[in-house]
Amino acid sequence: MSEIFIDGTRYEFEGKPKLLQFILDQGKEVPFFCYHPAMSAPANCRQCYVKVGTPVKNQETGEYELDENGERVIRWFPKMQTSCSMDMQDGMVVHTQESSEEVARAQKDTMELILINHPLDCPICDQAGECPLQIQTYKYGPEGSRFEVKKVHKPKRIQLGPRVTLDAERCINCTRCVRFTEEISETNQLTITARGDKNYPITAPGQEFDDPYSMNTVDICPVGALTSTDFRFKARVWEMNQTPSIDITNGKGTNVDLWTRDNLILRITPRYNEAVNGHWMADEGRNAYRRFNENRISRPSIKLDGNNTSKTSWNNAIETLAETLESHTNEDILVIGSGHASVEENYSLMKIMNLYGVNDFVFNPHIENGKGDDFLLTDDQAPNTTGVRMLGYKETGEDQIKEKVSKAKVVIMLADELIDRGVLSSDDLKDTYTVFMSTNECDSSATADLVIPVTCIAEHASSYVNVEHRIQRSFPAKETRYTNRSLNLEMSEGRLDRYGTNFDNWVTEDNKIDCLPVWELMNHLSDRLNLNIQFGSSREIMNEISENVPAFSQVSFERMDDEMGIQLNAANKEEATA
Amino acid sequence: MAVDWKSFTPVLIPDIPNLQDIDVYIKNGGYEALKKVVNENDWSPGQVINEVKDANIKGRGGAGFNAGLKWSFMPKPDGGPRYLACNGDESEPGTFKDRKIFEYNPHLFIEGALIAAYAMEVTTIYVYIRGEYYSWIKMMEKALQDAYDKGFIGKNICGSDFSVEFHVTGGAGAYICGEETSMLESLEGKRGYPRVKPPFPAQKGLWGRPTTINNIETLANVPGVINNGADWFRGIGAESHPGPVLYGISGHVNQPGVYELPTGVPIMDLINDVAGGMRNGKKVKALIPGGSSTPVLRGDSLEGVSMDADSLREAGSMMGTAGMIVMDEDTDMVETLWRISHFYHHESCGQCTPCREGTGWLEKILLKIRNGEGEIRDLDLLLDLTTQMEGRTICALADAAAWPVRYTIERFRDEFEARCKKSVHAVA
Repeated sequence: MSEIFIDGTRYEFEGKPKLLQFILDQGKEVPFFCYHPAMSAPANCRQCYVKVGTPVKNQETGEYELDENGERVIRWFPKMQTSCSMDMQDGMVVHTQESSEEVARAQKDTMELILINHPLDCPICDQAGECPLQIQTYKYGPEGSRFEVKKVHKPKRIQLGPRVTLDAERCINCTRCVRFTEEISETNQLTITARGDKNYPITAPGQEFDDPYSMNTVDICPVGALTSTDFRFKARVWEMNQTPSIDITNGKGTNVDLWTRDNLILRITPRYNEAVNGHWMADEGRNAYRRFNENRISRPSIKLDGNNTSKTSWNNAIETLAETLESHTNEDILVIGSGHASVEENYSLMKIMNLYGVNDFVFNPHIENGKGDDFLLTDDQAPNTTGVRMLGYKETGEDQIKEKVSKAKVVIMLADELIDRGVLSSDDLKDTYTVFMSTNECDSSATADLVIPVTCIAEHASSYVNVEHRIQRSFPAKETRYTNRSLNLEMSEGRLDRYGTNFDNWVTEDNKIDCLPVWELMNHLSDRLNLNIQFGSSREIMNEISENVPAFSQVSFERMDDEMGIQLNAANKEEATA
Repeated sequence: MAVDWKSFTPVLIPDIPNLQDIDVYIKNGGYEALKKVVNENDWSPGQVINEVKDANIKGRGGAGFNAGLKWSFMPKPDGGPRYLACNGDESEPGTFKDRKIFEYNPHLFIEGALIAAYAMEVTTIYVYIRGEYYSWIKMMEKALQDAYDKGFIGKNICGSDFSVEFHVTGGAGAYICGEETSMLESLEGKRGYPRVKPPFPAQKGLWGRPTTINNIETLANVPGVINNGADWFRGIGAESHPGPVLYGISGHVNQPGVYELPTGVPIMDLINDVAGGMRNGKKVKALIPGGSSTPVLRGDSLEGVSMDADSLREAGSMMGTAGMIVMDEDTDMVETLWRISHFYHHESCGQCTPCREGTGWLEKILLKIRNGEGEIRDLDLLLDLTTQMEGRTICALADAAAWPVRYTIERFRDEFEARCKKSVHAVA
């Protein structure tokens, strides 16, 4: 095993790791800007300087040469080295800013230079609060500025593409964004223009930065140069809660964080998971945040005579559903599950209806051929197609599902906008009583006879199985009318939650949706139908699923949390499809 | 021992009319060295490298590294392409000597490059010429075509197994493209940005393949070494820094120009005897020995200093490209330094922070001093800034920008102080 000495502490290593990454992996710190672990290291910010030496070996014996104190003689590199690009060698001695005044001075010098032309507009900059330059300056930078001449002024508010806005003055030319389009998304849409202190990233003339992954450059920009056009000036990071979740826009299962303030999701950013999405996510997934805030179905509604709908009480909605079921034979009832709903939602619906005596459980995969790429987008447009399939819902094509609907007297649809995506038409449902459990107003909800609002992924803890058979779970980020951040142990609390009151002007009850998780709805239905079944939390439902459904054997929320998702094994897949 | 430069006969740009014509070049012994190495069995590639190494040709592009040693860093051939990139970018202010070779003796360089390619078992040669030097690009294209036509380039050169292709590439006119790794980027069709080393070009150069980069004048010295032997070359000029050199003398002298002489010529001889003395009989106030990035020397410190690495190091400067800029007693050093800083600020590629930001800051402070608005503390700030730039970037452009500032202020501080406005001190 090779060894290295960093600030006097011995560490062992294997292979040829780069020095900066190794230091970071040990929980130590060296400031840096241009380095990103998923991309090449250009070593251009010159911030991660360290002092490096290697032990001198006797050419003949191969033994280390020792000084009069018996210590190894170290041959120091004549110049300080950028640790991001430095290959580690056996016996190497490294001094970081912790143990070397020279290194600390060099880092401070570089930061002074970075800051001279950087506008000090932190109070209005969108990056404030999560800006590496701000943080590193506070920790390692100079106390003041000696720059008394005119700053360079570069273009501001350049709309690079539909989703990214550039403030060139803030750019520190780390080239992370350019390298992202070269090495990760491979669209090569960005380059650096001009030279010296006048340069900044830009697209070619007449071209748009419309890369389907363009907003990752906003995440990796170490300053506020590249900003999300949509999110600019909406909120400060310290006002928001950050909640782990899963992307709902396709089957990849990209790990994301939902950022909430005053019970609204304001942005979605990728969450690192090497096994699924690395550091990245597609722009489409980020734009899905609107779905959690806007156009939500709040409170059940029921269709009266003609096409008139009316909001109704939960009691009436459940009573109507129960009476509808009781007034038909089990063979007349069709349950349509959904790849857009979680494993727990599909399971609880299936279990209750199955106990009631219904046997027809189907779903229609939401596939759009050609939408996928070889990266994070898939043809599968739903986050849980595999999960629904594994639970035993029968996969049906468009023609089959139309036929089944035409034969059914009652159709119960779970969170899948079948009319909106063209699988069914309003006419197909004309002669059936349609119950739709859904999150958003849409053509499908407008057609349904009974619409019951259910929680979305941002409002409940639940799990989803991606196209690669990996089960991962979400956490609730938003409160509903019936949940409370401080009482729900799954929910995180931010500063505003802890210190805010109902009298503060940033808090409004209007953003809480009147909806229930599917399993709570099933509990009410179970009560009404005397089925004597009560689901606990989603965590307990998953434990139950893992005991009852072989495909999910050994799966639990605890394991998903610890292992960042669980790869369901091939044997389980076979059992599920057998 | 003083170098006998007066009896020296030029070998790089000899006084032979129409030497750029391939027939004239051949008539005067041209391409004999190439034939010698590719046809005679006793010249293996390794032997060519050893001969050049023994000759101790120090690179004429500025860094002064032993050319043969550099060639020996190329890994063993693996069947894939290997490249020689000839650096004719020549963008440093005060440096204008390679163009003389392109103009008067292009086949000498071509022959040297072919021998280098043979020694390193290279498959393709590129010569990179600054885009603004359009005439020289055209001249090289003509010379290469002539050499192709005569069978000195292409398949089975001079009937041997040795084959190589030779191309001219015009640069886009950025100073940074003269830096060897930026030149590689430019040759690959990319923006001129220096590459982080390691890996060095010999391991991973053009398109990821082994590549050696040599200056034009360096390669032009090679045929002479092959024809006459390493001892002959080492016998010319200064012992530790031998060979003929093209001195590009500019500034306040009566006869500025490019002069071929041995290394180790006393600077005052070059000014007074070679370049016709100072204009209007003025005194030398300052001298930049090897292109604008090399440390300036005071005129009153030039006695006994000769143009070779050791003597110049002792005097506090370096040989660089031997592009001497001579300044007389009327020269405004503040103005001069500001001009130099303006150049480096304009030419910084912007990749590394200390260079991108530092060059601009230096220029702005110098402009302030030039306009009479500077303060004494600005001089100390300038010196401090140079320490923040030197040795802290991927390439040496930051050093090239910092050194003129540091040494001009250190060696002419009184002049800078005189231009600063009087500092106002509070009285208790």
